[in-house]
Amino acid sequence: MRALGHLSQEQIVFGLAVLLCIGFAIALPGFLTTNNLLNLVRSVSILGMLGVAMGLVVIGRGIDLSLVALMAVSVAWTLQLVANGVPLHQAVAMGLAFSLVTGTITGCLVAYVEIPAIFATLAMGTLIYGFGRYFLLRLDVVYMPEAARHLLWLGQGTIYGVPVPIFVFAGVCLMGYLFLRYTRAGHYLRAVGDNLLAARITGIPARPVIVMQYVLSSLIGFMAGMVTAASVASMNTRVAISTYVYDVILVVVLGGIGLSGGKGGIRNVIVGTLLIGVLLNGMTIMDIQYTVQNVIKGIILLTAIVIDTIVNPRDEQTAQQGDI
Amino acid sequence: MNAIVELRNATKEYRGVPAVQDVSFALHRGEVHALLGENGAGKSTLTKMIAGVVHPTSGELWVDGQKVELGSPSDALGRGIAMVYQETSLVPSLTVAQNIYLTDDKLFHRLRGIYIAGQQFLQSLNFHVDPTAMVATLGAGQKQMVEIARAVHHNAQVIIFDEPTATLTPEEKHQFFSLVSRLKQRGVSIIFISHALEEALQIADRITVMRDGQHVVTDATSAFDREKIVRAMVGRTLSGELYGSHTDRQVRGAGEKVLSVQNLSMGNMVRNTSFSVFAGQITGVFGLIGSGRTEAAKVVAGVLKRDFFHGGQVRLNGRPVRYRVPRPAVRDGIIYVTEDRKIEGFFETMSIAENIHLGAMAAGRTKSTTVSMKEMRAIAKEWIDALNVKAINADARVIELSGGNQQKVVVAKALVQKPKLVIFDEPTRGVDVGAIAEIHHLINRLADEGIAVMVISSYLPEILQLSDRILVCRQGRIVEEFEGHRADEETIMYAAVH
Repeated sequence: MRALGHLSQEQIVFGLAVLLCIGFAIALPGFLTTNNLLNLVRSVSILGMLGVAMGLVVIGRGIDLSLVALMAVSVAWTLQLVANGVPLHQAVAMGLAFSLVTGTITGCLVAYVEIPAIFATLAMGTLIYGFGRYFLLRLDVVYMPEAARHLLWLGQGTIYGVPVPIFVFAGVCLMGYLFLRYTRAGHYLRAVGDNLLAARITGIPARPVIVMQYVLSSLIGFMAGMVTAASVASMNTRVAISTYVYDVILVVVLGGIGLSGGKGGIRNVIVGTLLIGVLLNGMTIMDIQYTVQNVIKGIILLTAIVIDTIVNPRDEQTAQQGDI
Repeated sequence: MNAIVELRNATKEYRGVPAVQDVSFALHRGEVHALLGENGAGKSTLTKMIAGVVHPTSGELWVDGQKVELGSPSDALGRGIAMVYQETSLVPSLTVAQNIYLTDDKLFHRLRGIYIAGQQFLQSLNFHVDPTAMVATLGAGQKQMVEIARAVHHNAQVIIFDEPTATLTPEEKHQFFSLVSRLKQRGVSIIFISHALEEALQIADRITVMRDGQHVVTDATSAFDREKIVRAMVGRTLSGELYGSHTDRQVRGAGEKVLSVQNLSMGNMVRNTSFSVFAGQITGVFGLIGSGRTEAAKVVAGVLKRDFFHGGQVRLNGRPVRYRVPRPAVRDGIIYVTEDRKIEGFFETMSIAENIHLGAMAAGRTKSTTVSMKEMRAIAKEWIDALNVKAINADARVIELSGGNQQKVVVAKALVQKPKLVIFDEPTRGVDVGAIAEIHHLINRLADEGIAVMVISSYLPEILQLSDRILVCRQGRIVEEFEGHRADEETIMYAAVH
């Protein structure tokens, strides 16, 4: 393990993904075809987008468990509105507004009411799903109405033979990267995640930055939701009460974004997404049962975390510095 | 051999910096031994070596005439040495009796059993504490009784008290002293660390004074008086060479009154204190840890909030201000440079350039919503050169730097904000000697440029070397003011201790 000392978790996971790729390519004849590889990336692009949303929050030392619930309900409501005869662009605007307002509320709960993010978003997730299911939607599954068929391109179209969701994923990643690196707000977000007290003393508006995290997460979540709905021509709100949100966290943590905040970037999300994508695709080709897939995913996550703890241990000596 | 515990030529180094250097210390059987010294004199480290909490880098520990190596606090406890900390090590959600019997090697405790045993045990010590009470509901004095009871329960022959009276009310202090004498009657030996000289003179049999990690003097209490102790605590030779003489220094006059604080209060820590800071000079604030100096500064800078009622008034250039968060204070030009850079100073995963640039952005020096890499580099380079930060390049992460260079980055992040008033809280804590001189030079330059500078320190030579005016803080209040070149270590220390 010591020999791995100079490797980051990101590099370890990337190496793991490459190894898996090589393994599958040798073992599975259908794996290394252009079609399958495109399919692979396409299948995880939504997970990747949600990963970017979650990643931004986690870099800011938060966590957003309401991400998937909000995505499902806001997009399902959008489809419902279109089905009810609201013009498409107006319905999208309303769905987006619902998503952003809810994100703002969540952010305020964390930043101003000072509820720990994990509880605030857990409660909000339940609330959003319940509220949406009771007040906004008639059925669990809302199908894409005829009036919204233009949207289908977003999920099923191709550009030069490459599926559109891949472009959307790439676009979200690029925006996230530029945001974190080249904007004032992005620097503030990393600073708040790295050291909230220091950020406060430096004069960074810490609370507004925390609210912004959840607004961004709801915005990207809405985009991912639209792509999801377009891909399968419907939105199943039951995804809100599935374990999907944990898959998103898996991608983020696996990629090496530390839950303690400030660490990592968009590249980590991409690496995490790749590994999960390769793994899921290979297991699907091998026709491994869904429940067994969960076992394997869990083991991979634990392995990555254990390796990270061994390779990058917390420095206990530094804690004793002022201890005279 | 009369000593129950003896340290011979013990040295403890933290990353090559000695906290305790070649100290020999003997505790006689059945005595109360007071250990005195300034903050950072090495008292806690010395006692922690005895209690097995830290391991000496070199030197020997003898217990009961045997040479021993203590691996952990429970090893020490096994040999009858217990330490009672300032912040208690009790479990707040358990009852008194559960805490006392917590570390017994038994799988099960019958609650009824330990309550009855606890009741009898506490009574035998003459402690009026209910064994079934939850520890969280107890006052500071009672918690200390429980800690002591636990130590006695473990047949402790040596009990070390680290600042036992700091958090006690006068009534509780009285109880504590009678307890110490009862313990002494039982034949227990006691080491007593304190800032309060009168208490030491009152209850100790012998007194040891430490300074700068070294042993100064040990003698029977009757050989000391207050003045002699203070002289032993501050009289340094080493630091005199490093810092030079302060009396032949030119003292700066007061400029415009930048900050005026009146009747400021915050909880228990800041009690109705008043002071002013002027432009173009350095105002040094000396106080021991817990005297409320840091808290007062943090209230001024908006890091902490003062009491809502009767909280007092803060005026910046004559204008009353009340900050709920630091951001408006930073925008108004009040910058606080923290005493604990690791916890609230810098951003460890970000580069030097990003750290400094964040300061510039937060103070509104750059208005744009995007970050120009060129501009960020330029600002970083300017400050890295100005403060002589030693790093491979501006992209190095701050966590990789030495303590002195980390401090310089924190200072750069503050100064880039163009302050009117800078508050340096322990500016040279954990900083190497070379960097200390550079930071002092920088602080002097700031005052020469006409900025109001406030330096908080518990290191007297630093205060004397830098200050044009010296304020002394004691028990949450500024109690005395000196002119920089008139004061000397003894008078200041005399005002600061109680």
